[in-house]
Amino acid sequence: MKILKFFTKSAICFAVSTGFLSLSANAQKAVNLTDPEIASIAVTANQIDIDYAKIAEKKSKNAEIINFAQTMAKDHQSVIDQAVALVKKLGVTPKDNATSKSLKAGEAKTLKLLNSKSGKAFDKAYIDNEVGYHKAVIKEVETALIPDAKNAELKSLLQSVLPVLKSHLSHAEMVQKEVNK
Amino acid sequence: MKNKITELGIKVLLLFPILSLFSCHSSDQQNAQSSHRTDTVVIQQMQFIPASITVKKGDSILWINKDMVDHTVKEEKSNGFYSDTIHVGKTWKMVATDSADYDCSIHPTMKGRIVIK
Repeated sequence: MKILKFFTKSAICFAVSTGFLSLSANAQKAVNLTDPEIASIAVTANQIDIDYAKIAEKKSKNAEIINFAQTMAKDHQSVIDQAVALVKKLGVTPKDNATSKSLKAGEAKTLKLLNSKSGKAFDKAYIDNEVGYHKAVIKEVETALIPDAKNAELKSLLQSVLPVLKSHLSHAEMVQKEVNK
Repeated sequence: MKNKITELGIKVLLLFPILSLFSCHSSDQQNAQSSHRTDTVVIQQMQFIPASITVKKGDSILWINKDMVDHTVKEEKSNGFYSDTIHVGKTWKMVATDSADYDCSIHPTMKGRIVIK
Protein backbone atom coordinates (compact mmCIF):
# COMPACT_ATOMS: atom_id res chain seq x y z
CA MET A 1 0.00 0.00 0.00
CA LYS A 2 2.88 2.28 1.01
CA ILE A 3 4.61 1.53 -2.28
CA LEU A 4 1.38 2.09 -4.22
CA LYS A 5 0.94 5.48 -2.53
CA PHE A 6 4.54 6.36 -3.25
CA PHE A 7 4.32 5.45 -6.90
CA THR A 8 1.06 7.35 -7.33
CA LYS A 9 2.62 10.47 -5.81
CA SER A 10 5.85 10.01 -7.73
CA ALA A 11 4.01 9.51 -10.98
CA ILE A 12 2.10 12.74 -10.45
CA CYS A 13 5.28 14.55 -9.52
CA PHE A 14 7.09 13.31 -12.59
CA ALA A 15 4.10 13.98 -14.82
CA VAL A 16 3.84 17.54 -13.58
CA SER A 17 7.51 18.33 -13.60
CA THR A 18 8.80 16.39 -16.55
CA GLY A 19 6.01 14.33 -18.03
CA PHE A 20 8.51 11.69 -18.99
CA LEU A 21 8.35 8.85 -16.52
CA SER A 22 5.97 6.01 -17.17
CA LEU A 23 5.63 3.50 -14.39
CA SER A 24 5.08 -0.11 -15.24
CA ALA A 25 2.17 -2.09 -13.88
CA ASN A 26 4.62 -4.29 -11.99
CA ALA A 27 5.94 -1.28 -10.12
CA GLN A 28 2.53 -0.75 -8.54
CA LYS A 29 2.57 -4.02 -6.61
CA ALA A 30 2.21 -3.45 -2.90
CA VAL A 31 5.43 -5.24 -2.00
CA ASN A 32 8.39 -4.08 0.01
CA LEU A 33 11.67 -3.56 -1.78
CA THR A 34 14.56 -5.88 -0.94
CA ASP A 35 18.08 -4.57 -0.23
CA PRO A 36 19.41 -5.77 -3.64
CA GLU A 37 16.52 -3.92 -5.32
CA ILE A 38 17.16 -0.78 -3.26
CA ALA A 39 20.85 -0.90 -4.22
CA SER A 40 19.87 -1.13 -7.90
CA ILE A 41 17.44 1.82 -7.63
CA ALA A 42 20.01 3.94 -5.78
CA VAL A 43 22.73 3.36 -8.38
CA THR A 44 20.32 3.80 -11.32
CA ALA A 45 18.81 7.04 -9.99
CA ASN A 46 22.27 8.56 -9.44
CA GLN A 47 23.58 7.39 -12.83
CA ILE A 48 20.58 8.94 -14.60
CA ASP A 49 21.36 12.37 -13.17
CA ILE A 50 25.00 12.00 -14.25
CA ASP A 51 23.75 11.23 -17.79
CA TYR A 52 21.60 14.38 -17.77
CA ALA A 53 24.57 16.41 -16.48
CA LYS A 54 26.83 15.15 -19.27
CA ILE A 55 24.36 16.42 -21.88
CA ALA A 56 24.12 19.80 -20.14
CA GLU A 57 27.90 20.14 -19.98
CA LYS A 58 28.02 19.46 -23.71
CA LYS A 59 25.04 21.52 -24.91
CA SER A 60 24.66 24.51 -22.59
CA LYS A 61 26.51 27.80 -22.83
CA ASN A 62 25.02 29.14 -19.61
CA ALA A 63 27.72 29.24 -16.89
CA GLU A 64 25.24 28.56 -14.09
CA ILE A 65 23.82 25.52 -15.88
CA ILE A 66 27.29 24.17 -16.63
CA ASN A 67 28.43 24.74 -13.04
CA PHE A 68 25.31 23.02 -11.69
CA ALA A 69 25.73 20.09 -14.10
CA GLN A 70 29.37 19.65 -13.06
CA THR A 71 28.29 19.53 -9.41
CA MET A 72 25.61 16.94 -10.21
CA ALA A 73 28.08 14.74 -12.10
CA LYS A 74 30.67 14.86 -9.28
CA ASP A 75 28.27 14.47 -6.35
CA HIS A 76 26.21 11.64 -7.84
CA GLN A 77 29.38 9.80 -8.83
CA SER A 78 30.60 10.17 -5.24
CA VAL A 79 27.30 8.70 -3.98
CA ILE A 80 27.53 5.81 -6.48
CA ASP A 81 31.12 5.08 -5.42
CA GLN A 82 30.12 4.90 -1.77
CA ALA A 83 26.99 2.85 -2.51
CA VAL A 84 28.98 0.39 -4.64
CA ALA A 85 31.66 0.09 -1.94
CA LEU A 86 28.98 -0.65 0.64
CA VAL A 87 27.08 -3.28 -1.37
CA LYS A 88 30.42 -4.94 -2.18
CA LYS A 89 31.28 -5.01 1.52
CA LEU A 90 27.84 -6.38 2.36
CA GLY A 91 27.96 -8.93 -0.46
CA VAL A 92 24.73 -7.55 -1.96
CA THR A 93 24.26 -7.85 -5.73
CA PRO A 94 22.02 -5.02 -7.06
CA LYS A 95 18.89 -6.52 -8.60
CA ASP A 96 17.02 -4.92 -11.48
CA ASN A 97 13.36 -4.33 -10.61
CA ALA A 98 10.21 -2.54 -11.73
CA THR A 99 11.30 0.80 -10.24
CA SER A 100 14.79 0.80 -11.74
CA LYS A 101 13.30 -0.25 -15.09
CA SER A 102 10.74 2.56 -15.02
CA LEU A 103 13.49 5.03 -14.06
CA LYS A 104 15.45 3.95 -17.13
CA ALA A 105 12.35 4.23 -19.32
CA GLY A 106 11.79 7.76 -18.00
CA GLU A 107 15.42 8.61 -18.69
CA ALA A 108 15.19 7.49 -22.32
CA LYS A 109 12.24 9.85 -22.91
CA THR A 110 13.93 12.73 -21.10
CA LEU A 111 17.18 12.28 -23.02
CA LYS A 112 15.22 12.36 -26.27
CA LEU A 113 13.56 15.61 -25.25
CA LEU A 114 16.81 17.22 -24.05
CA ASN A 115 18.60 16.23 -27.23
CA SER A 116 15.87 17.86 -29.31
CA LYS A 117 16.38 21.28 -27.67
CA SER A 118 19.09 23.91 -27.84
CA GLY A 119 20.00 27.32 -26.42
CA LYS A 120 17.75 28.78 -23.74
CA ALA A 121 15.05 26.17 -24.44
CA PHE A 122 17.55 23.44 -23.56
CA ASP A 123 18.65 25.23 -20.36
CA LYS A 124 15.03 25.57 -19.28
CA ALA A 125 14.17 21.95 -20.09
CA TYR A 126 17.28 20.70 -18.29
CA ILE A 127 16.82 22.69 -15.10
CA ASP A 128 13.05 22.10 -14.95
CA ASN A 129 13.75 18.38 -15.23
CA GLU A 130 16.40 18.61 -12.48
CA VAL A 131 13.91 20.24 -10.11
CA GLY A 132 11.24 17.61 -10.86
CA TYR A 133 13.66 14.69 -10.83
CA HIS A 134 15.19 15.61 -7.47
CA LYS A 135 11.73 16.12 -5.92
CA ALA A 136 10.66 12.66 -7.12
CA VAL A 137 13.87 10.95 -6.01
CA ILE A 138 13.75 12.62 -2.57
CA LYS A 139 10.20 11.30 -2.17
CA GLU A 140 11.26 7.83 -3.24
CA VAL A 141 14.18 7.76 -0.81
CA GLU A 142 12.05 9.08 2.07
CA THR A 143 8.96 6.98 1.56
CA ALA A 144 10.24 3.73 0.05
CA LEU A 145 13.99 3.17 0.11
CA ILE A 146 14.76 4.19 3.71
CA PRO A 147 11.69 2.52 5.27
CA ASP A 148 12.24 -0.70 3.28
CA ALA A 149 16.02 -1.01 3.76
CA LYS A 150 16.79 -3.95 6.08
CA ASN A 151 20.54 -3.54 6.51
CA ALA A 152 21.44 -0.79 8.99
CA GLU A 153 24.45 0.43 6.98
CA LEU A 154 22.41 0.63 3.78
CA LYS A 155 19.68 2.54 5.64
CA SER A 156 22.31 4.90 7.09
CA LEU A 157 23.81 5.53 3.66
CA LEU A 158 20.37 6.38 2.25
CA GLN A 159 19.75 8.72 5.19
CA SER A 160 23.07 10.45 4.42
CA VAL A 161 22.11 10.85 0.76
CA LEU A 162 18.91 12.75 1.59
CA PRO A 163 20.60 16.08 2.61
CA VAL A 164 22.69 15.91 -0.58
CA LEU A 165 19.54 15.53 -2.70
CA LYS A 166 17.75 18.31 -0.82
CA SER A 167 20.72 20.64 -1.30
CA HIS A 168 20.72 19.78 -5.02
CA LEU A 169 17.01 20.62 -5.20
CA SER A 170 17.55 24.04 -3.55
CA HIS A 171 20.48 24.70 -5.89
CA ALA A 172 18.39 23.64 -8.92
CA GLU A 173 15.57 25.97 -7.87
CA MET A 174 18.09 28.85 -7.56
CA VAL A 175 19.37 28.20 -11.08
CA GLN A 176 15.81 27.76 -12.37
CA LYS A 177 14.93 31.26 -11.14
CA GLU A 178 17.93 32.71 -13.00
CA VAL A 179 17.18 30.80 -16.20
CA ASN A 180 13.54 31.90 -16.17
CA LYS A 181 14.40 35.63 -15.76
CA MET B 1 95.90 18.00 31.11
CA LYS B 2 95.18 21.00 33.36
CA ASN B 3 95.11 23.22 30.28
CA LYS B 4 92.59 20.93 28.58
CA ILE B 5 90.27 21.01 31.60
CA THR B 6 90.51 24.82 31.73
CA GLU B 7 89.78 25.01 27.98
CA LEU B 8 86.71 22.74 28.39
CA GLY B 9 85.50 24.84 31.32
CA ILE B 10 85.75 28.02 29.24
CA LYS B 11 83.84 26.41 26.37
CA VAL B 12 81.05 25.28 28.70
CA LEU B 13 80.87 28.75 30.23
CA LEU B 14 80.65 30.32 26.77
CA LEU B 15 78.09 27.84 25.47
CA PHE B 16 75.79 28.04 28.51
CA PRO B 17 74.42 31.55 27.90
CA ILE B 18 74.03 30.80 24.18
CA LEU B 19 72.07 27.61 24.90
CA SER B 20 70.02 29.47 27.50
CA LEU B 21 69.12 32.10 24.91
CA PHE B 22 67.90 29.42 22.48
CA SER B 23 66.00 27.76 25.26
CA CYS B 24 64.21 31.02 26.20
CA HIS B 25 63.44 31.76 22.57
CA SER B 26 61.94 28.31 22.11
CA SER B 27 59.89 28.73 25.27
CA ASP B 28 58.59 32.12 24.05
CA GLN B 29 57.56 30.51 20.77
CA GLN B 30 55.69 27.77 22.60
CA ASN B 31 53.89 30.35 24.72
CA ALA B 32 52.94 32.36 21.64
CA GLN B 33 51.68 29.24 19.91
CA SER B 34 49.74 28.02 22.90
CA SER B 35 47.94 31.37 23.27
CA HIS B 36 46.14 30.63 19.97
CA ARG B 37 43.76 27.73 19.80
CA THR B 38 42.26 25.74 16.96
CA ASP B 39 38.48 25.44 16.67
CA THR B 40 36.70 22.95 14.46
CA VAL B 41 33.87 23.23 11.96
CA VAL B 42 32.47 19.89 10.81
CA ILE B 43 31.00 19.68 7.31
CA GLN B 44 28.22 17.14 7.49
CA GLN B 45 24.78 16.63 5.94
CA MET B 46 25.46 19.59 3.61
CA GLN B 47 25.94 21.99 6.52
CA PHE B 48 28.77 23.80 8.28
CA ILE B 49 28.43 22.81 11.94
CA PRO B 50 28.43 25.20 13.76
CA ALA B 51 27.13 27.57 11.09
CA SER B 52 28.57 30.51 13.03
CA ILE B 53 31.87 30.20 14.89
CA THR B 54 33.29 32.85 17.25
CA VAL B 55 37.08 32.89 17.67
CA LYS B 56 39.87 35.24 18.75
CA LYS B 57 41.95 36.97 16.07
CA GLY B 58 44.86 34.68 15.23
CA ASP B 59 43.06 31.49 16.24
CA SER B 60 42.90 28.73 13.67
CA ILE B 61 39.79 27.11 12.28
CA LEU B 62 39.90 23.54 11.03
CA TRP B 63 37.18 22.39 8.65
CA ILE B 64 36.66 18.60 8.54
CA ASN B 65 34.70 17.16 5.62
CA LYS B 66 32.67 14.27 7.05
CA ASP B 67 30.11 14.48 4.24
CA MET B 68 29.45 12.19 1.26
CA VAL B 69 30.63 14.75 -1.28
CA ASP B 70 33.45 17.26 -1.80
CA HIS B 71 33.11 20.81 -0.51
CA THR B 72 34.97 24.12 -0.40
CA VAL B 73 35.22 27.03 2.04
CA LYS B 74 35.13 30.34 0.19
CA GLU B 75 34.74 33.84 1.56
CA GLU B 76 31.67 35.40 0.00
CA LYS B 77 33.36 38.70 -0.85
CA SER B 78 35.76 38.58 -3.79
CA ASN B 79 39.50 38.03 -3.25
CA GLY B 80 38.86 36.53 0.16
CA PHE B 81 40.02 33.17 1.46
CA TYR B 82 39.41 30.00 -0.51
CA SER B 83 40.19 26.44 0.51
CA ASP B 84 40.10 24.81 -2.92
CA THR B 85 38.37 21.41 -2.92
CA ILE B 86 38.18 19.69 0.46
CA HIS B 87 37.73 16.08 -0.56
CA VAL B 88 35.62 13.61 1.42
CA GLY B 89 37.43 12.75 4.66
CA LYS B 90 39.97 15.58 4.30
CA THR B 91 40.51 18.82 6.25
CA TRP B 92 41.52 22.44 5.69
CA LYS B 93 42.92 24.86 8.24
CA MET B 94 43.09 28.65 8.24
CA VAL B 95 44.16 31.38 10.66
CA ALA B 96 41.19 33.66 11.28
CA THR B 97 42.03 37.36 11.03
CA ASP B 98 38.67 38.99 10.29
CA SER B 99 34.98 38.34 10.66
CA ALA B 100 33.58 36.96 7.41
CA ASP B 101 30.67 35.24 5.76
CA TYR B 102 31.58 32.22 3.69
CA ASP B 103 29.92 29.50 1.62
CA CYS B 104 30.68 26.34 -0.30
CA SER B 105 31.37 27.36 -3.89
CA ILE B 106 30.18 23.93 -5.10
CA HIS B 107 26.93 24.06 -3.11
CA PRO B 108 25.94 27.74 -2.82
CA THR B 109 23.07 27.01 -0.43
CA MET B 110 25.62 26.06 2.27
CA LYS B 111 26.52 29.14 4.32
CA GLY B 112 28.83 29.80 7.27
CA ARG B 113 30.10 32.72 9.33
CA ILE B 114 33.29 33.55 11.24
CA VAL B 115 32.98 36.09 14.05
CA ILE B 116 36.11 37.59 15.62
CA LYS B 117 35.46 38.49 19.27
